[in-house]
Amino acid sequence: MLSLLFILLAASFFTGIVVRTKSIASGRKGPGIFQPVKDVVRLFKKGAVYSETSSFVFRIAPTIYFSSVFVAMLIVPFGSSKGLISFNGDFIFFAYVLALGKFFSIIGALDTGSSFEGMGASREALFSMFAEPAFFILMGSLALMTGHTSFQEIFTTLHLGSSITYALGVLAASVFLMIAMIENSRMPIDDPKTHLELTMIHEVMILDNSGFDLGLILTAGYLKFALYGAIIFNLFSGSIAVGYAIPLFFAMQAFLAVVVGIIESFMARSRMNHNAQFIVVLSSVALLIFFGALMVSGKFI
Amino acid sequence: MVELINSSWILALLAAIILLLVPTKMKAYTAAFAVVANAIVTSCLAIPALSGQPVSLTFGGGSILGDILIRIDELSAWFILIINFTCITGVFYGTGYLKAYANTAKKLGMHWILFVLFQLSMVWVCMIQHGLVFLIAWEIMSLSSMMLVIFDANNPKTLKAGINYLVQMHISVVFLTIGVVWLYFRTGTFSFDAFTTYFGTNSNIWLFLVFFVGFGLKAGFIPFHSWLPHAHPAAPSHVSGVMSGVIVKLGIYGIFRVASYLRSDYLVLGEILIILSVLTGLYGILNAAVHRDFKRMLAYCTIENIGIIGIGIGTGLIGLGNHMPILYYLGFGGALLHVLNHSLFKSLLFYSAGSVYQQTHTRNMEKLGGLIKSMPRTAVLFLIGAIAIGGMPPFNGFISEFLIYSGLIEGIKLQSMTQIIIMVLSVAGLSVIGGLSIVTFTKTFGTIFLGTPRQPLDHTPHEVSRLMLIPQYIIIIMMLSISIFPQAYLQVVGNILSNLAKGIAVPQPVEFTDYISIMQSINLYSLMFVGVMAVFWGIRTLMLRGRTQTINATWGCGYTAPTSRIQYTGKSFSKSLGKMFNFIVIERKEYQELKAGEIFPATKKYTSHYHDFFEFRLIRPITNRVVYGANYFRFIQNGRVQSYVLYGIVFIIAIFLLTIFNIVL
Repeated sequence: MLSLLFILLAASFFTGIVVRTKSIASGRKGPGIFQPVKDVVRLFKKGAVYSETSSFVFRIAPTIYFSSVFVAMLIVPFGSSKGLISFNGDFIFFAYVLALGKFFSIIGALDTGSSFEGMGASREALFSMFAEPAFFILMGSLALMTGHTSFQEIFTTLHLGSSITYALGVLAASVFLMIAMIENSRMPIDDPKTHLELTMIHEVMILDNSGFDLGLILTAGYLKFALYGAIIFNLFSGSIAVGYAIPLFFAMQAFLAVVVGIIESFMARSRMNHNAQFIVVLSSVALLIFFGALMVSGKFI
Repeated sequence: MVELINSSWILALLAAIILLLVPTKMKAYTAAFAVVANAIVTSCLAIPALSGQPVSLTFGGGSILGDILIRIDELSAWFILIINFTCITGVFYGTGYLKAYANTAKKLGMHWILFVLFQLSMVWVCMIQHGLVFLIAWEIMSLSSMMLVIFDANNPKTLKAGINYLVQMHISVVFLTIGVVWLYFRTGTFSFDAFTTYFGTNSNIWLFLVFFVGFGLKAGFIPFHSWLPHAHPAAPSHVSGVMSGVIVKLGIYGIFRVASYLRSDYLVLGEILIILSVLTGLYGILNAAVHRDFKRMLAYCTIENIGIIGIGIGTGLIGLGNHMPILYYLGFGGALLHVLNHSLFKSLLFYSAGSVYQQTHTRNMEKLGGLIKSMPRTAVLFLIGAIAIGGMPPFNGFISEFLIYSGLIEGIKLQSMTQIIIMVLSVAGLSVIGGLSIVTFTKTFGTIFLGTPRQPLDHTPHEVSRLMLIPQYIIIIMMLSISIFPQAYLQVVGNILSNLAKGIAVPQPVEFTDYISIMQSINLYSLMFVGVMAVFWGIRTLMLRGRTQTINATWGCGYTAPTSRIQYTGKSFSKSLGKMFNFIVIERKEYQELKAGEIFPATKKYTSHYHDFFEFRLIRPITNRVVYGANYFRFIQNGRVQSYVLYGIVFIIAIFLLTIFNIVL
């Protein structure tokens, strides 16, 4: 339950910090860190315009997308306190719940019959498919290291063995960060700020969404960042007392937001046809972690 | 009670005769009645068997066959119930589907007779425990399904697909016959008990592999899958639904049956099976993602699901080899549940795709679009099938995929490095399969049902008749029952499994009970997920009340004259994927380049289609060689009666001489 609250709080400033970092890096002052939340609140108050080709799919898609992220949030633990949903193999549920949200956001985009949105939908489907094995190999290696298969148990027992796990933890954190970037369609994969629709993925999918629905989609994006931030935090928190864990959590989220901002400022978007290679590299890093885990658990011969 | 078995075949044969006599209008209903009656009879025996009271009966087969053992144990019962359910939905859906063909009375009569026989043979395949009779039932099943496939025999493509299917099924029968004869010569009996004696004393690998090839041809493991993408699109939709839903699963039944007798070499076989299955799954879904004939797409998707089932079986075998019962329960259990799940959502998908075909007369999704407006119910049905087959909660696909995932993750706790690596790579493979199935089904659903119509159709499509919709609703109710009460189904599967492995006793481990309770909580969480959606939807409705909601054209990014042709097509949706894997999905394009100096180019044609890698690179070269070699013997069949008479005489003389010299006894 704690995690839900903290992720919600972290989500309120995460994207703001990313934007602020980018502004400072490019020599501007930039908006306040709560600007994204204010934007969303404004959107929530608006009416809506629907495309005449769209059907009910277009109307329910943002809600389902948002709900999937929300339910995924319930699965993530906070340190040693369990998420609301926790069982052996809950990370599979996590991945598949998010997949359902993605499924609906993709068909929602296709529902408008716009060629741009179709293009974004196709790319979103493709790239998130490539990110999938990295996540599963990573979780598999963590399960191998700890002998547990639920988020909370994995994270609390991760560092009981040896300190080498921290090295693997850093590697795992970088993979999770990149997965978060892909899931949110951020820099090396996609550029949310470009105004040329052909280069966009996620942004182009939601061209036709407006008002409340757009607000839901944006909020889901903020939550997703904080969600992956929370997972990364859990990789290191282990069994730290809650008193220390809470400030650490927010410091970590802020730090990650700054890192994301810096990556976005100093890295160019890769060419669209190089994206797949980039994402496959993630899976190989995950495999590296897996072999590390094999060695740690003494099963490598 | 046991004698009820007899009424099954008597009923079917009676129905076949009655079907010849009744007027055309009544044929479909008679067939439906026969199928339902047969289903009730066999289910009456299967349901007690499922709860641990196997029934058996012995027929005297004379001196040649010996005693024919008919036995319904838990495994048979599970498959019989699946067959019966799918056949019942199939026959009712087919009644509606074939209404348009009412003027082809002869064909219809034959079709329904075959359908009844088809169900009969499938059910009996699951019951017979006698090698030779099993082969006969298997053959009746293959032949009747082949005849069902070529319903539209006037179309040369359909006929070709049917012959392709026929040939491949006979290759399968050759392997099965080799296996049965092998067993007979080593043990002296055709009864399935021979497996126990044989496997107890000999190497298990080769005989299992012979049977695996035989059954794998039916199931559609690569590289034995190439009949599926031809036969499924060619068959009428209710037949493809039943074929994909259950006939393919009988291959899986065979593998289960033989695997249940294994005594040793579990590890090697498990590893072979799991690797082949991951490849099957990836190959199937990759092809499904690029194909635009939606029934062919579904056929490839069947191959993918066979891969998933195979991963489960492989995990189970590895578990048996390592004496880890939990792996056996999760792997085999996941596989068995996935057999049920896949038979449900795949038949649902084939039926709803069939409804689209019936209304639009095209299987090419690029010609469709926007059907959600004219066929809203079919669209929702297809959508539910698509979500379920992608393994996403809250539908039933997630239950079985979760079990198989859990099996693989439990397998990570094994000791051997090779097996751990196999497990982790299988998890990765399974996740890619999941991701690709999202690509596949968003593409298919989006192209067929969403957007605007891409081409004017000959007829305006309408929602299909209630007779076709109701079977699909029933399937969905069944699917929901699995996702709401997964623990009940898992318990049944657990019972099946604790009596299945005859080689070694595998008691239900404690962890399995844990998984049953996990299943219970998953269903709660899935319901909660639905609840969360409902809550947010409610909030949305409340917030939007009284606000201005306008309907306007799709934003064209400044372009003001959009046509439906500029929509993203199925082809373009999966183009980049196809390009990335162009070494597996082989694309062939046919077009003419502009000639130099051609100032006013005439209308040009451009077609592109994807070839099946194994068919194109492996099977076709081999058959081409065989045909080339066979050409040299064409002089034998020259059409002259005189030479045929000569062959007869030569043959008789040869026999005569050979007996004289004691070469042939």
